[in-house]
Amino acid sequence: MAEPLCTWPDRNDRVPYWIYTDQGNYERELENIFYGPVWNYVGLECEIPKPGDYKRTQIGDQSVIVVRDIDDGVNVLVNRCAHRGVKICEQDSGSFNEIMCPYHQWTYDLKGNLLGVPFHRGVSGNGGMPENFNLQENGLDKLEVHVRNGGIFATMSDATPPFQDYMGKRILGYYDRQLDGRILKLLGHSRQRIGANWKLMLENIKDTHHASLLHVFFVTFGLFRVDNESRVEMDQTGLHTALSSIRGAQELNDGTAQMRSFDSKLNLNDPNLLDAVHEFPGDQTVVMQTLWPNVILQQQSNTLATRQIVPQGPNAFELHWTFFGYETDDEEMTERRLRQANLMGPAGLVSIDDGQILERTQEGIRAHPNCEGVVELGGRETDDTDHMVTEVALRAFYKGYRKVMGL
Amino acid sequence: MTLPPLLQSEIEKLINEYVLVIDDGELDRWPQFFASVCLYKIISKENFDAGLPLAMLLCDSQGMLKDRTEAFTKLNVFGPRTWRHILGAVHTTGTESRILARTNFVIFETLAGKDTHIQCAGEYRDVIVREDKTLKFRERLCVYDTTMIPNSIVWPI
Repeated sequence: MAEPLCTWPDRNDRVPYWIYTDQGNYERELENIFYGPVWNYVGLECEIPKPGDYKRTQIGDQSVIVVRDIDDGVNVLVNRCAHRGVKICEQDSGSFNEIMCPYHQWTYDLKGNLLGVPFHRGVSGNGGMPENFNLQENGLDKLEVHVRNGGIFATMSDATPPFQDYMGKRILGYYDRQLDGRILKLLGHSRQRIGANWKLMLENIKDTHHASLLHVFFVTFGLFRVDNESRVEMDQTGLHTALSSIRGAQELNDGTAQMRSFDSKLNLNDPNLLDAVHEFPGDQTVVMQTLWPNVILQQQSNTLATRQIVPQGPNAFELHWTFFGYETDDEEMTERRLRQANLMGPAGLVSIDDGQILERTQEGIRAHPNCEGVVELGGRETDDTDHMVTEVALRAFYKGYRKVMGL
Repeated sequence: MTLPPLLQSEIEKLINEYVLVIDDGELDRWPQFFASVCLYKIISKENFDAGLPLAMLLCDSQGMLKDRTEAFTKLNVFGPRTWRHILGAVHTTGTESRILARTNFVIFETLAGKDTHIQCAGEYRDVIVREDKTLKFRERLCVYDTTMIPNSIVWPI
């Protein structure tokens, strides 16, 4: 039987395909990445506004409960009863005063502390827990939590750097531009399952130039295109990326002339869809941030969303979209955000293409673990660029990935 | 109140023809099923029940329906497939001038070379009006139960 090839080619402009398909590599990713020294995105505060409100989500393969405490803090608890391992919480979201496992009614407070166990002192002198059974030692596993301007992150490792250092100043600048301290308003969720490796989703956002070729809709209406004024910026690890760009015109130029999919005559019957208004400091109309390891924080015109990437083994992932606005939005702005949400999600005018192409990528590479992908566009280096005709963010990403994975 | 039997069968014809047109791939005809002022939404049951406004797909004008048709047929990139809508019984209420209808649906998707799977299951919640002597959808909400959409919705529901 062939051993999986688990060495990286000796150059940073190639990506071996086994990292997308190998079960052993996936299990190392769970340990080294999702359960390791990272801040995993788990949700937005506006999803759990009141004490007792909770949502269920996932970190790696593990189910967790994100709950608003009575003191207004946010707790993230592993969704596994300390007694016999039952997944306590089944609902995607809801509200509770305490957390009770239905099997034997072990009951926890919103911090995950075990409050009580039925028959603790026995019944009529029979049974019960031993004298030295300690409630305090049998709570739900609790994660370290960091909340920044409405975004909630959690970590399972003691070695995770403080959030600010983890993100780095530059990425944090983009983060704070969109989550700027205003109270967020939840608009809704959508979820899809894509038969591709989870890293391909991050790559898709870091790979700036595909948008100009695959997404006819973007190309034609100039929403995101190589000839637009744009920047690709990384933190020092290369794992986080911020892409920013300014919307261009529907015109024939050096860039659009090279795109087979560009159609200068295509017009919208209802231009309301692209009726964007300026709302953030600076001129960027698109900022797509990939925050390592599991979220895309995005602005496309006035549609704002997080895309949480939930891996499902090496060959599939779920994408949990959360669309939001701000509490201060008027009705017109909310309608605009909702209309522009047509661009994104499982039926998105542009994101349909991504879901489809990622699955085809996985199908293409699945039988070829020993082959390699080419990432040479824009050279072989890993420095920031002021254009998007480049795969630099992919090279930087895999430089960081190799370090984290010891490859 | 109960609607006249002739009207009931006219409503059922509208609802049946709508899915035939989609399953036959004649998307150019899709906007014609809607009134001149219209609302079409594909929204998750989760958002609908929670009163959250986000739709997976939203068209609030004839123009937007046509733009979607254009995108589905010419702009979006997706592999070959067959869609098959299966409808439940049509339940109607309301008045002759503003008919309310609810109909369950399941969509079976068959991708080239792969198994047939359930792509989406849910319920149409319609407001139907008469315009130019023909019944049209003033509103068509597709409230879907499917919490995890297999990949993407590449056609109208």
